[in-house]
Amino acid sequence: MASARLDKIVDDELKARLTQANEQLRAGKATEAVRGLADTFLWMLRTRPEMLDATVPLRAGRTMPLVMRWPALGANLSLASVRAREPQIEFVRDRFALSEAITYFEFALDTAIAQGF
Amino acid sequence: MKFGLFYELQLPKSRDGDDWDADAERRIYDEMLEQVELADKVGFDYVFEVEHHFLEEYSHSSAPELMMAALSQRTRNIRLGHGIALTPPAYNHPARVAERAAALDILSGGRVELGTGESSSDMELGGFGVDRGLKKAMWEEATREIATMMCTVPYPGFEGEFFSMPPRNVIPKPVQQPHPPLWVAASRRETTMVAARLGIGSLGFGFETPDELGERAEEYWRLVREECYPIGHAINPALAVLSTFMMADTDEEARRRSANGPGFFSYSLGYYYNPLTGGRHQPGRRNVYRDYLDRQQAFAEAAEPTDEVQRALFRAAQGRTAIGTDDTVRANIKAYEDNHLDVLILVAQCGDRSHEHIMESIERFGANVLPEFRERHESEHRPWRRKQLAGVEHPVNSSI
Repeated sequence: MASARLDKIVDDELKARLTQANEQLRAGKATEAVRGLADTFLWMLRTRPEMLDATVPLRAGRTMPLVMRWPALGANLSLASVRAREPQIEFVRDRFALSEAITYFEFALDTAIAQGF
Repeated sequence: MKFGLFYELQLPKSRDGDDWDADAERRIYDEMLEQVELADKVGFDYVFEVEHHFLEEYSHSSAPELMMAALSQRTRNIRLGHGIALTPPAYNHPARVAERAAALDILSGGRVELGTGESSSDMELGGFGVDRGLKKAMWEEATREIATMMCTVPYPGFEGEFFSMPPRNVIPKPVQQPHPPLWVAASRRETTMVAARLGIGSLGFGFETPDELGERAEEYWRLVREECYPIGHAINPALAVLSTFMMADTDEEARRRSANGPGFFSYSLGYYYNPLTGGRHQPGRRNVYRDYLDRQQAFAEAAEPTDEVQRALFRAAQGRTAIGTDDTVRANIKAYEDNHLDVLILVAQCGDRSHEHIMESIERFGANVLPEFRERHESEHRPWRRKQLAGVEHPVNSSI
């Protein structure tokens, strides 16, 4: 059954990508899901390059780049590539656990909803 | 809604002192025993105690299983929660976690709640050689096997990515079968959804508002019903949230008694969990409490951050929910009940609060607030939970 949160996504391509990732989670295909989600996050950044400039307020007046909140669980966003405005995700592992794939999925879904995709 | 107490065993140094007095650690251990004994008598349902290592002042609770063993002999009803046990194998071999939890379950007559997690402070990860980028995968692999060790005869053995062991009968077995209720520490929304999909309770360390909780609860329960692939052999669908806690005759007096507790709790947590500060901590030399006093104004004036973990620290310092009179606390926590929270976990022991004030608060809460929530837990929340679980085929082992 489709998630009510997935239904909040207006962009058809993004919705299809996230729906596929959800199906992979259900099938226990964690590594495939992570690879797909990494590609999906890069697609979001290409589609909305202004996300590269967005920041998240921290405490005591500090901020951090929004994109650096992408979880660093083995499919890691390269800071140098973000600075060069050509974001890339480096895979430092070739196998992922289900909990890691769920974390990437929820992050991508939350970000997509928050960014109004 | 049920209620618990939460313990880090905080021990701030004095502003001018570079060490604790010789009796300080024994004192806070004795005080915790007294506080939980009282909580048991007045009807609290849970006590959760952390496992942390090397986090001076922030948490002197590195061997919670020993405190829980002592409490098992001094209490009758309160459930004894690991909040949480660190399960990546470099901290604790999975068989040792299973053995200790089972032994405690026997000693306590089946009152164990097995919270699990990873921690993310550099002091702990570096101290035990846990790779930050692998810790979640380690947690998952070990937690799954711990659950299996507690209910299989013999445990068939395991060849994993992070630990391996041959077939052994892991004994003793816990009273609660197939295993005690499982939880995971969740400081981000994402981890609450991991908990739902893996069929375990979410110990929410995000100091969520009632509205945030309501949204999370809806999604959590949907996932439990529709997309749950249990990590254990029985599911524990449950949502818990933390709040700082202090009560008195007036709101002003409660805030005064709350003292630097929430502020220091928040500051020291942020200090150790931020690699830029915690990663540079000088063991045995730093006075974190003095740092906090020197910098609290900057943090007090900052606006609420949007980053989830940072926001949790901010809210912890505010102490908005369960600090005040009977009426204030009752009204604030009712909003959580209305959003279907299962357990509100109250942080009383933190910062430089006094033992006497904590004892008074526990007594007051048990007498004046807890009873009506207990009644509604039975009459309203349990039936609501049964509806949520309708059609779920996985076996359930939950104390909610």
